[in-house]
Amino acid sequence: MKLVSYFFILSLITLFLVIANLLFGAVSVPLDSIVDAFWDHTNPNHFTIHEYRFPRIIIALLVGAMMALAGALVQGVIRNPLASPDILGVSHGAGLAAVIYMTFFPDAAIEWLPLVALLGSFLAAIILWRLCGQHSTTVKLAITGVALAALYASCVDFLMLVKPLEINNALLWLTGSLWGRGWTQLSLLLPWLVLIPAALWLAKPLNLIHLGDEHATSLGTHTNTVRLAALAIAVGLTASCVAICGPIGFLGLVAPHLTRKLVGGRHQALLPATMLVGAILLLLADLAARTIDPPIELPAGIMTAIIGAPYFLWLLLRSK
Amino acid sequence: MLLISWLSLFTWSSITISPLDALQALYQFDQDSIAQHIVRDLRLPRVLVALLVGACLAAAGVIMQGLTLNPLASPSVLGVNAGAALGMALVSTITPWFGLLGTTMAAMIGGGLAWSLVMLLGSGWRTGNEQGRLVLAGVAISALCAALTKALVIIEEDQASAVITWLAGSLTDARWQTFDAFWPVAVVGLLGASLLSPSLNLLQLGDDNARNLGVSIGFVKLIGSFLVLLLVGASLGAVGSISFVGLLVPHMAKLLIGQDHRRFLPIAILLGASLVALADTLSRAIIFPMETPAGAILALIGAPFFIYMVRKKTL
Repeated sequence: MKLVSYFFILSLITLFLVIANLLFGAVSVPLDSIVDAFWDHTNPNHFTIHEYRFPRIIIALLVGAMMALAGALVQGVIRNPLASPDILGVSHGAGLAAVIYMTFFPDAAIEWLPLVALLGSFLAAIILWRLCGQHSTTVKLAITGVALAALYASCVDFLMLVKPLEINNALLWLTGSLWGRGWTQLSLLLPWLVLIPAALWLAKPLNLIHLGDEHATSLGTHTNTVRLAALAIAVGLTASCVAICGPIGFLGLVAPHLTRKLVGGRHQALLPATMLVGAILLLLADLAARTIDPPIELPAGIMTAIIGAPYFLWLLLRSK
Repeated sequence: MLLISWLSLFTWSSITISPLDALQALYQFDQDSIAQHIVRDLRLPRVLVALLVGACLAAAGVIMQGLTLNPLASPSVLGVNAGAALGMALVSTITPWFGLLGTTMAAMIGGGLAWSLVMLLGSGWRTGNEQGRLVLAGVAISALCAALTKALVIIEEDQASAVITWLAGSLTDARWQTFDAFWPVAVVGLLGASLLSPSLNLLQLGDDNARNLGVSIGFVKLIGSFLVLLLVGASLGAVGSISFVGLLVPHMAKLLIGQDHRRFLPIAILLGASLVALADTLSRAIIFPMETPAGAILALIGAPFFIYMVRKKTL
């Protein structure tokens, strides 16, 4: 019963934030004309709502949910409270691949971007795995990930300095922002939604893995298959989000932790709830980013870092 | 080091400068030669600033690694760079009338605050702690400061261009006046560092042993931290954010000379100076005639080294 009420409250908050995101911004739209503005082409706010805010909100919802889900999967598999795709360098790997693609093939179609990002993030994950192996400590894994992320980031910086002509495209995209994302980007994101049910299906085996490998195996779980599948799904989710919004930091770290506080560690509850929490966080970050100093927009990635970095410090203080 | 600085005086210029011109400009200055004017007014201060920056950052890295007994400690890893950037961004966006001195002070204060936060949260003063924790705390504080800096840059767009060039860490704008403001602080810092090096040796034995040998630990740590801030703040204020020198160079020096701080500190200073001068020379070479910031090149060299260090040391 308690669980249901949590889900209810989280959904309400999400709905409330969606409406708030539709209303506020550089131009405020009155509440009663939203529906009208969406459907009616003659409405003065039609363009704002239909072309800008609505697709952007959907993207924020999906990206927030997917990044949080990826974080929860990674934390579930590695059992490391400091792990998340962005801290392990996977997001930045995807970012680097995408920037390479954009600088060397500036005319190439944007449709390939998610696949290129996927390739990059898989490579990043494999490199991390090769460097750390299976038995590294919590902190060592995190440091190696952070160092790799720094390496990818400096490669990106270098590329952008060497090829300054293509800089606009990449810069716009790298800040981890939702600015200027519209229906095109949304349609790129849609095929990747298949990964969400796949991830939810893994909830039960992930629970069993938490009992320890021996118990899980004796209960009929292929532990290594489950681990690999979960990590692959997490990498895929991250890559698709990064391809749309650029690396948005700390979201995949913070959302699962907050959710675990609320609903506990059972993955059947944790995974769906963390998607809601992730969506709420990103909607909130984007709302703040748009309304702090309109019409200038801050990238949502900055807002998540300002909330996320202190949280990471707090986790670090507590982790043994 | 001398060789590299001489190379840097004449190579990869938009106007051809002969090696001989570079030397003549120093000893027998010829008023009519354009090449010699370039060497004297543009190249020479630039090389000198590069050398000093390298020396300062290397010394700061040595002190930080000595104080924390952490092989990964360095200004960029422990958040001093990012904090300094934030301080500088704050000052130059909110009160743009401050000169070079103002931004240097701001960089020092920002870096100091960031570092003390990192040391506090990562419990860096207690020895025998898990050392990775300190590094992760530094990374988190860096991320926070970087995010705030970016937000400032975007909000205050008109004053931000200075901050952006500064963040890239380039020596392009190093002139005589930069050098004039920079060298007194640098010299004081470097002298202080060499005075401190015997005590750093004793600190390596552990707090208890050092105390028994008559070292006032609190005092050494206080002075050491202050020197680090002085060195880092001054060099960041002069050229901008240059990372990984402080991490890389002390280890190179240790490999060459051994563990004695009195001996490897001077070597580290020389190595750091050569490294930055070399990076600056390369920065003009890579996509001639445009310039890549030296900071970007150093980051490209430094990040793989960082990974190597993490792998090698059992954290």
